[in-house]
Amino acid sequence: MAETAVRRAPTVVTRVKKALAPLPWIGPAVLLIGVVVLWPVVVMVWSSFQRIRRTGIVVGSNGTDNYKKLFDEPDFVAVLWNTVVWVLVVVAITLVLSLFLAQLFNQHFPGRRFARWAMIVPWAASVFMTAVVFKWMLHETHGAINTLMVDLHLMDAGKDWLGRPSTAMPWMMAVAVFVSLPFTTYTLLAGLQTVPGEVYEAAKIDGASTWRTYLSITLPLLKPAILVAVVINLINVFNSFPIIWAMTNGGPGYETATTTVFMYQLKASDIGESAAMSVANFAMIIILVAFFLVVSRNKETDR
Amino acid sequence: MKRHQMALAATGLSAALLLSACGGSDDKKDDGDKAAPGASGAAGAPKDGTIKLVVADYGSGDGSMQKYWNGVISSFNEKNPGIKVNLQVINWDDIDKQVATMIQNNDMPDLLQTGGYADKVVDDLLYPVDDVMSPATKADFVDSFTPAATVKGKQYGIPFTSSTRQLIYNTDLFTKAGITDPPKTWDELKAAATKLKAAGVATPFGLPLGKEEAQGEFMNWALGNGGGYQTNGKYTVNSAQNVEALNWVNDNLVKGGLTESNPGTKNRKDVYTDFYGGSVGMVNSNPTMIATLKKDYPNLKYATAPIPGKAGPLNETLGVCDWMMAFKKNGHKDQIKAFLDHAFSTDQQIKFQEQYSFPPVTKSVMAKMTTNPANAGLKPYIDLLPKAKFYPLNDVAWDVLSPKIKEQLGSAVSGKSPKDVLDQLQKEAEAAVAQQKS
Repeated sequence: MAETAVRRAPTVVTRVKKALAPLPWIGPAVLLIGVVVLWPVVVMVWSSFQRIRRTGIVVGSNGTDNYKKLFDEPDFVAVLWNTVVWVLVVVAITLVLSLFLAQLFNQHFPGRRFARWAMIVPWAASVFMTAVVFKWMLHETHGAINTLMVDLHLMDAGKDWLGRPSTAMPWMMAVAVFVSLPFTTYTLLAGLQTVPGEVYEAAKIDGASTWRTYLSITLPLLKPAILVAVVINLINVFNSFPIIWAMTNGGPGYETATTTVFMYQLKASDIGESAAMSVANFAMIIILVAFFLVVSRNKETDR
Repeated sequence: MKRHQMALAATGLSAALLLSACGGSDDKKDDGDKAAPGASGAAGAPKDGTIKLVVADYGSGDGSMQKYWNGVISSFNEKNPGIKVNLQVINWDDIDKQVATMIQNNDMPDLLQTGGYADKVVDDLLYPVDDVMSPATKADFVDSFTPAATVKGKQYGIPFTSSTRQLIYNTDLFTKAGITDPPKTWDELKAAATKLKAAGVATPFGLPLGKEEAQGEFMNWALGNGGGYQTNGKYTVNSAQNVEALNWVNDNLVKGGLTESNPGTKNRKDVYTDFYGGSVGMVNSNPTMIATLKKDYPNLKYATAPIPGKAGPLNETLGVCDWMMAFKKNGHKDQIKAFLDHAFSTDQQIKFQEQYSFPPVTKSVMAKMTTNPANAGLKPYIDLLPKAKFYPLNDVAWDVLSPKIKEQLGSAVSGKSPKDVLDQLQKEAEAAVAQQKS
């Protein structure tokens, strides 16, 4: 022990130098992260404790009043509940559908290349644009979806799908799933391609059924890919603003708003309160992701 | 390998330096521009300097607004060659956010033309109108604007555009349904709407209570019942008259299926578009509809009438006004005065109001426009102006309340009880007032 210490002692300076050596390379990136990511977070938290006028002038500290006002909003709990349902339903459906699609795309079939390319389209198109297109397809009298359903005699007359929360939410969730599918599918597809063929051969020799093979081999080996897909989707879906904003504006009232949309709405009347909502959103997403990572790691050690 | 990495790092580094260098020089140039006129203004030379003019875009993003202001500026410069006007036209949806950013960064305009001014008075950013406008120009404004433009006895808001409301109806659909006269009372309106529905009209009465302008559509109904947002300077959003009005709309029109579906989520734009398309019987309209109908839908037959009230047609209707305001920060009082006196001269004003078909804000333009037969469609709206009732635009609490009304009022026709919605909005109003005082 002592020997090694002695041997290392004179090299402290060298070690610092060595540690700093990559700085010229990573420096710009670190600086960029500091300015573009960390600094706004600091300002956001700071703003949430200030009293800010609509003109943008900061009057002074507001203590925790912005948070009190936020938590006292009569619609706050309902909006929070909307958010929970929105995130859980969209991520769950996206994951299940993507598992199926990834499996499909992993098979050899004629036109596979074309199908894989087509899958990129919802991803490549702007989310806002997709949402606006769906909004018009759902238009009560002229929308393609309503016209089609009336022509097929599924309905007598067009429905104003986005006018009521009970029908608007499912449609917006459908759009959110639609735009989340490509990324999730490709992540899982990449995961599937890392599973070695020999494992399946061994399972076949042991006489395992298709289902059994899927549950005991594919899914466990796919776990890292699923983990990435879920975490990224949680963040994306939680922060998903354009779909709701383009399709219902969060209305009527705040009945189709999630906390992200609510934050934007609050900004029109009280910037400080809106900043408090941003901080709450930020905290929620960090807790959510941390919780998910811890749970999945625990499972790993159990095994 | 190593050399390769070095080259890469060097490229990255120089790129970063180049970027920051560009930013730096830009900043400096801006500062220089701002500093120069400030200095000359302080020296008391009224004729030289640069003023920054920020205006909202009322056009459809077709550059017509830019063209209009460039015209004002170039004719101004013929008389005042020493004063340079830097024009910035900003999209209507973004202007308030961008101006807030300018104020936050202490990069204030000298003149701003947008929807509200009261919040800037509270923060002591504006010149009183008397400081930046000659008495003759000021005296030309239509008098009904003055209360809404005045805070604590001093006028700060300079009316720039205005608008009033009329009932507009599709005369072909009225004939088809066998209706001869436009409705004058709520009961007649309901009867007419019922007849239109029986005649197969998809939307007998268009009721845009969605986010875009719920505060305006609701005020049409409140005024029809002797209500409004304020009584004697105090907010009375949940007054008995207002609750009764909203209940009547909800029980008779909405629940009776006489409006478009889910009116709490529909905006003016949606309803107006359907009116142009011929599927709406009647709707409370603003004067821009007349211009659009004339230009794009010449075949649609329509007429206008005063908005029906509970007992009879409204003679005081909702008036809306957008404002010009002058900022103190850069000390360009004299240059601003010279420019405003020019911009609000009859010749300049009439060009704008006629191009966008807005009722005029000055008496001289009003006299010219009402005698021009080309403006016959606009005349009923102009005639309402001297008696128009405005939102409490001079109260900064209104700026907080207005977005809340826009967001929440639709709930009153989407299942929540109108009284609960108005009670909540009254609470918001009282909280906003309390916050301004603290």
